[in-house]
Order: sequence, then C-alpha cells, then structure tokens
Amino acid sequence: MSAPRVIGFTLNGVPVTALAEPHHNLIELLQTQFGLTGARESCGQGLCGCCTVLVNGLAVSGCLYLASFVDGATVATIEGFDGAGKLSAEQEAFIETGAFQCGYCTSGFIVMTAQLLDEHPEPTDDQIKHYLSGNLCRCAAYPEIIAAVKLAAQKRKARGAAFATTSRA
Amino acid sequence: MIPFELAEPTSLAAAVKLLDPDDETVRPIAGGTALMLMMKAGVFRPAKLVSLRKIERQYAAIAAGADGLTIGAMTTLGTLERSAEVRKLAPLITRTCLTLSNVRVRNVATVGGAMAHGDPHMDLPPVLMALGASVTVAGPDGERTLAVEDLFSGYYETVLAKNELIASVKIPAQGSKRAAYMKVTTGSVDDWPALGVAVVLDGEGDTITSARIVASAATEKATRLTLAEAEMNGQHVDETLLQRAGDAAADEAELVADVRGSVPYKRELMRVYVGRAVAAAWRGAGLNND
Ligand code: FES
Ligand code: FES
Repeated sequence: MSAPRVIGFTLNGVPVTALAEPHHNLIELLQTQFGLTGARESCGQGLCGCCTVLVNGLAVSGCLYLASFVDGATVATIEGFDGAGKLSAEQEAFIETGAFQCGYCTSGFIVMTAQLLDEHPEPTDDQIKHYLSGNLCRCAAYPEIIAAVKLAAQKRKARGAAFATTSRA
Repeated sequence: MIPFELAEPTSLAAAVKLLDPDDETVRPIAGGTALMLMMKAGVFRPAKLVSLRKIERQYAAIAAGADGLTIGAMTTLGTLERSAEVRKLAPLITRTCLTLSNVRVRNVATVGGAMAHGDPHMDLPPVLMALGASVTVAGPDGERTLAVEDLFSGYYETVLAKNELIASVKIPAQGSKRAAYMKVTTGSVDDWPALGVAVVLDGEGDTITSARIVASAATEKATRLTLAEAEMNGQHVDETLLQRAGDAAADEAELVADVRGSVPYKRELMRVYVGRAVAAAWRGAGLNND
C-alpha cells in the first residue's frame, strides 16, 4: 500500500502536480520529477544546507523533508530566484563578492539568505552567523559570504519591494 | 529509505485511531526531522507512518493566558522562537530555541515531536521540566494530563502508549522566577550536547526559596536533580553554595558514556556546569552556550 500519490503545489511560481512516493524526500522529488538539481543532498542529515529549499517562505532541509509534505504548499528553489529574468539580489551579491570557490554550497547559502533577509532586512553580523550556522562551505568562503549577505541586503533595499519575485511569494 | 505507507488523517481523533498499540512499525510523524534521520540510517523501518500535518489547526497554535501558555503539539520550534507571547511569559523558551539546532530544523521540527521522541539530547525537555510544564495526551479513551517530568521513562522512551499522541503542552508563566539553560557541546558548537542543565529559581532578596534543576544529554533521560535542588533551598547564593550544588549533582546523577564524553568526564562537567547554570539564572544572564 505504499503507492505513490498525486500531490499539487506551487513550484517557483507555477502550479504543478507530481507523483510522490511516500518514502521519497523533497530533493528526490525535485530532481526526479522536475529536473531541478540546484538543491542537492550532501550530508543528508540536516547539517550542511546544500539541500535548502523554501517551503511557504521558510527554509527547510530538503534531505529530511518528506516529499508528500509539500502537498498544497508554495515551494521555491534556487532555480526560481531569477524567475523574472533577472538575478535576485542575493545571487548578484554572491557573484559580485565572489562568495564561493567551487560553488557546491552556494545555492543553499543563497536560499537561506532569502529567509534571513525576509525576517531581518538589515541583519547584524550575529544574525547572519546565526541564520547561516546550519550551512557549511568546504571551501571556507565564509568572510566573503558574510560580505555577500550584507551586499544583498543593500541591493534588496535599493530594488525596493520589487525584489520579491512572484516565484518566492 | 525503504518504502512505507503514509496516512494523512485530518483530525487528531482519526490519527489516534490509525495508530496501533501493539505495532512498532506504525508511528506518528510530525515535522519528521528526527524520524527521517532514523529511517535513513536504517534503524527505524516503518510499515506505516501517520502524518499529523493535516490535523486541526488548533494543534499548531499558541494560546496565552494570565497563568501561562498552552502550546499545540504541532507548533514548530521556529514559531515558538518568534512568538511574542512566549518571549513575554516564558523567556527561557525563547532563549533556548535560539541555540537549538539550526533555523531549517526549527522551521520544521515540532514541540510535540521534541518530547515524544524521548531523545535525551534534545534541549526543550529539560527546559520544560524545569519550568514545571505539563502535557495533554490524547488516546483512544480520551485525554489525560501529565507533568513533562513524568513523561520520559528511559533512553528514547516515554510512558506514552503507541496509540497516544501529545496534543498540547501547558507552560506556567515564568513570572519573577529566574531561569537559565546551559549546554555543553564537546564537538563543534552546533553538536549535540554532552550535557544540558536547566535551572529555574525562585528567590527572596539573596535567598533561594525554591529551585528546580534538570540535567539532560549526559543522562539516559532528562532528570531532575533533587539532591542538588534540596541543597539550594533557603540558602544564600555564594561560591560555596554553587560548589555544593555542583557536588550534589555530580553525586546523584546517573550518567551514561557516549562519543561526547566518558562518565568521569561528564561527572566533572556536571560538577562545574550546575553551579554555572545556577549562577547564570540568579544573575539573570539566562543562557550561555559554551
Ligand atoms: S544535505 Fe540536507 S542538510 Fe546536508
Ligand atoms: S564554495 Fe565550495 S563548498 Fe562553498
């Protein structure tokens, strides 16, 4: 009776349906059914943040989140961040600051930064470290990442409310 | 993970009915974080999970009254952390949430799950015990209420029947009580603790009138340290008292060794940190994470 079932949710601004296996996690769902590989499983234990996805605007570890749980939810992945044809403030800031080396962790950091800036538009260093403490960067680009978050905050402000692309709403 | 069946009842009563008191392979799932880890590691292989996500919304709500808080078991730790009512009536909870795992986990993990899992390393159970919280539990024959203190029966074990579910937790208002929670992580800062100590004190002038001290992580379940508590009652707070409390705690606690420390090491941690946590509570410093 572990049959897959049809679930419906909004993915990067678009209403979608999918066939969810009860034992699949959100990363498996996004990769196998939507070809989205920006959120990826690395540690698989909620520790590294490579699998970060926004569900109803809040960051979750896709590796520990049952796929079925997004039924009826709004899901945003890194692929939706430039949905309006323009890089998001966070993406621009990470690129301009050079806040990565290999880039494996970057999508997770950017998605996590989105929740941080939603809740703290002008974050302190402590708030940045607090929100990003669950994201690991093996290349240790941490100083640049903190600078990137601050730049992203400025960019969001400069863009005004327009930053909130429909894909994340 | 191995395939399993997933049921998604829309009421708490229906969820209780779907559970089986004699079948270990049927289990409720709330946020799922801890269960997912167990399933991925292969230590838990369910035949059926009963998701609580679609039960009545009241079980994910926080209600504040003059005497305290009633928190639905499905409330996420993140909601708890951000709640103005919780900050006002039980600030120790807010401070504890801030050092509890990471933002993503708190966005998903639930208050009920943190208790029902019976994991002695979790931060919320000792804090709730020290605050004198109680849980309302729903089962096939209706509801019953018990102190969080009486909920845990062993390592990852609770007194709950397999077809009972925590519905809500009641937390008395902290009022003028002084409180602190300290945890010691011996690996990375964000590691699971080797020891957690929650302290709630009532006092008059420079005298302690009542103390509740709870240890976790170093013990097989969150445990009240009654000898250390007795040591403090009616006493002035000074260095000697802190030392006596630490010694009493170290003597009475039944400790377990794990990768985060041996029994003798944890005994020394207990000796030192009980005193520090009492001092932090008394000073109003609240919480430190060393
Ligand atoms: S892969 Fe999910 S947190 Fe590391
Ligand atoms: S840039 Fe390589 S892991 Fe972060």
